[in-house]
Amino acid sequence: MKQIKSRILAIENLVITFTLRGQVLTAIRGISLDLYKGESLAIVGESGSGKSVLMKSIMGLLDKNGSIAQGQIIYNGMDLALFNTEQQWLTIRGKEIAIVTQDPMTSLNPLKTIGKQIEECVVLHQGLKGKAAYTETLKLLTDVGIDDVEKRYKQYPHEFSGGMRQRIVIAIALACKPKILICDEPTTALDVTIQAQILQLLKSLQQKYSLTIVYITHDLGVVAKVADRIAVMYAGDILEVGHTHEVFFNGKHPYTWALLSSLPQLGLKGQPLYSIKGTPPNLFKEIKGDAFAPRNPFALKIDYEVRPPFFQVSDTHFARTWLLDPRAPKVEPPATLQAFFEEGRQYANER
Amino acid sequence: MLWYVGKRLLQSIVTLFIIITIVFSLLRLMPEEGYLGAAAEKMSAAQKEVYLTNLGLRDPLLVQLGNFYADLLQGDLGKSVTYRTDVPVVTILADKIMYSLFFGLGAVGISLLIGVPLGILMAQMKGRWLDRLGTGYIVFVVAVPAAVYYLVIQMYITDIFHLPMLFDEYKPITWLLPLTSMALAPTASYAMWMRRYMVDELNKDYIKLARAKGVKERTLMFSHVLRNAFIPMAQYLPATILFTITGSIYIESLYSIPGMGGLLVDAIQRQDNTIVQGLVLVFSSLGIIGLILGDIAMALVDPRIKLGKGESVR
Repeated sequence: MKQIKSRILAIENLVITFTLRGQVLTAIRGISLDLYKGESLAIVGESGSGKSVLMKSIMGLLDKNGSIAQGQIIYNGMDLALFNTEQQWLTIRGKEIAIVTQDPMTSLNPLKTIGKQIEECVVLHQGLKGKAAYTETLKLLTDVGIDDVEKRYKQYPHEFSGGMRQRIVIAIALACKPKILICDEPTTALDVTIQAQILQLLKSLQQKYSLTIVYITHDLGVVAKVADRIAVMYAGDILEVGHTHEVFFNGKHPYTWALLSSLPQLGLKGQPLYSIKGTPPNLFKEIKGDAFAPRNPFALKIDYEVRPPFFQVSDTHFARTWLLDPRAPKVEPPATLQAFFEEGRQYANER
Repeated sequence: MLWYVGKRLLQSIVTLFIIITIVFSLLRLMPEEGYLGAAAEKMSAAQKEVYLTNLGLRDPLLVQLGNFYADLLQGDLGKSVTYRTDVPVVTILADKIMYSLFFGLGAVGISLLIGVPLGILMAQMKGRWLDRLGTGYIVFVVAVPAAVYYLVIQMYITDIFHLPMLFDEYKPITWLLPLTSMALAPTASYAMWMRRYMVDELNKDYIKLARAKGVKERTLMFSHVLRNAFIPMAQYLPATILFTITGSIYIESLYSIPGMGGLLVDAIQRQDNTIVQGLVLVFSSLGIIGLILGDIAMALVDPRIKLGKGESVR
């Protein structure tokens, strides 16, 4: 690797539960994840896999019926999992960790000018006032690629397009001067051309503001464009984690294979597009073994009984599947993927 | 903004004109006895004819309408026939309006002062004891007919605190019960709507983002939620305030307050056409002004409402 990276945030064996009508739902089932300074980590997974819950727990924004049952979130020598007052969280929210939310259409207060909404953060987190805060706000607007900033400062959210609003939301996050930026499906609500622009913007801002970015997404296309590392989530657990090229071109977990196979770009002409059979498990029930086993065509008997540990593939690449156990039968990834993996490896070698 | 107000005013004047003309025409279809008053039985047919001609009722309809508008512009609504014979309608209304206005505005004031903060607190403490208490109160006021608790208040509270039963202008203590009774229902409704709009707003994405960017809960409530939650109420407030003028029939008769409450009913029963006409004019103007003010209030608080060129973006 280029340099020795320092950990900025460490999640240790985190368990998050929700109480719903007297029943307990385990949304996060013992996740451990490290975040390194300056990297972009993408957390991918289908809806309901717990990506957003994981990120919300880092900012203390879990819904009232949710709580951290077990585990630690270490940031700056503090265990965020133990935080329970607003006072404590206010030292983290915005100041250290900021968020770019999913839907720019509803994420801005319709009755405040966008200038005021950005300035609120500048005042709150940079300690600027009056003219200085105003100038800083204009600078942020310029940074996120908005023209005619003085006029735009006075406008209301409804006077902006979706892409523009997402830029404003990014400006709000930057105004906090955070160390970590969480982008929760930052491009889901945008059309494809705007998506590319926003991702480009985030990339350049990451350099300029030396941010660590966590992308939460179910769009593997986004991941490929921006992420250094990928963590694949399923049913409240991380199944595979590694550098983007490792997971993309040398994926080991059958769920990763399934996700990649369902990419329309990899589908073969004339053949129906692959889709994962079945539905994700019910998180109200205790899950035995590998959560993906019932939908996994390669599932072994042990997959239904014992939860697989993380097997190390390389220094940076881990996967939670019994297929990596030396005693397991040799299983090849699906044919369409093999070609893709081969291409990827060649591409990597050429570079 | 000015252009918008001007346009709305012009529209309203046209609406008002149409309403008045319709009411005026309808009343011409009523039996003419209404204009004769108590003297009708003693008059001969010829006398009646002379009387009605003097009043201008034998002129062609259009001329009558013209005269009516001419008088109206001078603030003259005609004279009462049977209710208080020969007293100008304007005088009768002026006497009564002050009472209704006092109690009406008082009740609205009290209910806003109590209902809105109550709603806010209920939203903040959703699901806890204050919210449940408030909900209980709202359900009670909505479910029990007003007549019942009005009577209970008058009968028992006056008894317990040894208060006079009836209204007396010169004893402020007697103002208290009618005011409280009138304020009960609107307090409940303000609290209910305020709570509901606050809860709605609190669930919105922009509140989540504001919280994530490190805004304190308290600042969040006052600087972000409150104004947004109040918008839907802003539209109805002016009309509510204006309509207090019409008075409360029930409260006014319970406490013998000489207000506007029963006037329309009385005037209709006594076939006093000029008063009916005057009242309809006043009520419909109030309704229309209330609507305009509501729209202006909305436009003032909500920047999404574009004014002027007829385009409205929501």
